[in-house]
Amino acid sequence: MSHTEDWVIEAENLSYSYEGNDRKALDGLSVRIGRGRKVAFMGGNGSGKSTFFLCLNGILRPDEGRVLVDGEPVSYTRKGLLDVRKRVGIVFQEPDNQLFSASVFQEISFGILNLGADEETARREVERVIRELYITPFKDRPAHALSGGQKKQVAIADILVMHPQVMILDEPASALDAVHTKKVHELVNRLTEQGITVLMSLHDIDYAWSWADEIVLMHEGKVIRQGTPREICEDENVLKKAGLERPAVLRIYEKLINKGMLSGSEIPGSMDELAEMLS
Amino acid sequence: MIVIDKLCYCSRLRYVNASEKFLYTAATLAICVAGRSFAAAAAAFAVNGILTVRKGGIPLSRYIRLLMMPLAFLIPGSAAVIVNVSKMPLDAFAFPVGDWYITGSRDSIREGALLWAVAFSAVSCLYFLSLNTTMTDILEVLRKLHVPALLIELMMLIYRFIFVLLETASAIEISQKSRLGDRNFRTKARAFGSLGSCLFIRAFRRANALYDAMESRCYDGTIRVLSGERPVKRKEICYIAVFEIILLAVTIGSRAI
Repeated sequence: MSHTEDWVIEAENLSYSYEGNDRKALDGLSVRIGRGRKVAFMGGNGSGKSTFFLCLNGILRPDEGRVLVDGEPVSYTRKGLLDVRKRVGIVFQEPDNQLFSASVFQEISFGILNLGADEETARREVERVIRELYITPFKDRPAHALSGGQKKQVAIADILVMHPQVMILDEPASALDAVHTKKVHELVNRLTEQGITVLMSLHDIDYAWSWADEIVLMHEGKVIRQGTPREICEDENVLKKAGLERPAVLRIYEKLINKGMLSGSEIPGSMDELAEMLS
Repeated sequence: MIVIDKLCYCSRLRYVNASEKFLYTAATLAICVAGRSFAAAAAAFAVNGILTVRKGGIPLSRYIRLLMMPLAFLIPGSAAVIVNVSKMPLDAFAFPVGDWYITGSRDSIREGALLWAVAFSAVSCLYFLSLNTTMTDILEVLRKLHVPALLIELMMLIYRFIFVLLETASAIEISQKSRLGDRNFRTKARAFGSLGSCLFIRAFRRANALYDAMESRCYDGTIRVLSGERPVKRKEICYIAVFEIILLAVTIGSRAI
């Protein structure tokens, strides 16, 4: 666990249920996220990940409990919401639900203009993001002619142009092929290098193991465990509860140790590291 | 419509300033329709064809096929102008049918031919604009012309979501077909009905999701976006002005005869 007290996001005892639905989507969820961390949110479908994300930038207002961003409780006034949405950006799972304009340039410029930037600044920023996220080759194509991966890149650019402190990616790799998944992961790594806190919901425990600083396990609208990937993956019971298996690299590593083919040194952080240890 | 959309993104004239293209189209269209002159219509038709096919790089076969589309309206339209049923034969042609004649006058033939000429020149003007200008650029021009923002925002969203919904519809259709939804007329009708209702519900959900996504980017009821407009070129403006003046002169000249 980190010893930092610099929490960028604190959620205290959140409850939320959707209209016309008795089941609580969030049921007393509490979690704290340190600044600059890479946090993986894991749990089955309907465990409340997406609902929680929508609470973090004020799209949903929790029935009970409160959200603090940067140590300040979210205020649900117009100005307060503007402020929290500037700090916390969400890249939605389905880019077709996020991209509203057929023009990539218009699309990306939307967020920053809403923050009140003047046209010249906005143009510069949009052009910068287009360059940085490798969008240049398809920036003149209409949104409906982009591939799933390209739409995802634009969706990330949409948010990045607003310079958020916290970036939430809701299952960024869903429906992407291996090449684009890798590309999105590279982009995410660059976000953290810029000091942005990244929260990501995902189902791939192997990727979470190698990428995340912390894993938050969710189940039925609650956080059932938060910890480093190592702490989480040692606890098979809690993993099972969240419907997850242990990372492949860990299982192979332990088999190798048991068979005496590898002497117990450092636990590998990824398949590549394991391969390195074997060579 | 989808074909036109695909073509305009490949057009070599796509990056010409959209206001210029709009101005050219509007002026030419106005002169052709209001002037009702054979010569002007032919000139406009020829220039539009050259601009679209030679300069814009739209394939000729595609262009011709698109030009054929208004025939469905033109043929019955001009028939109504030319062909008369009367007891008296007119001067151009007359076929007796019992006591009556199917007949037409020279004037009405001229009128019908002019209708064709004007219609084709007008259609070629509109094709020039739509085959060489993207929808987003056209909306940009409308914004400059102070069309209400609400209308422009609606058009922008509709344009984007036509494609999203088409994609959804074709995915649903494929899944229906793969379960033999098109086995016979009955199943086809039922499949089509459920496709419609399903699409409606999905569109509704999408609208909600889109609203959430826009709100999370600080949407406040007005869609503000940057335009990607290209600069106006003085040379092109001169060309347009010269052409319109010639066209106007041709119109006036041919009517004076």
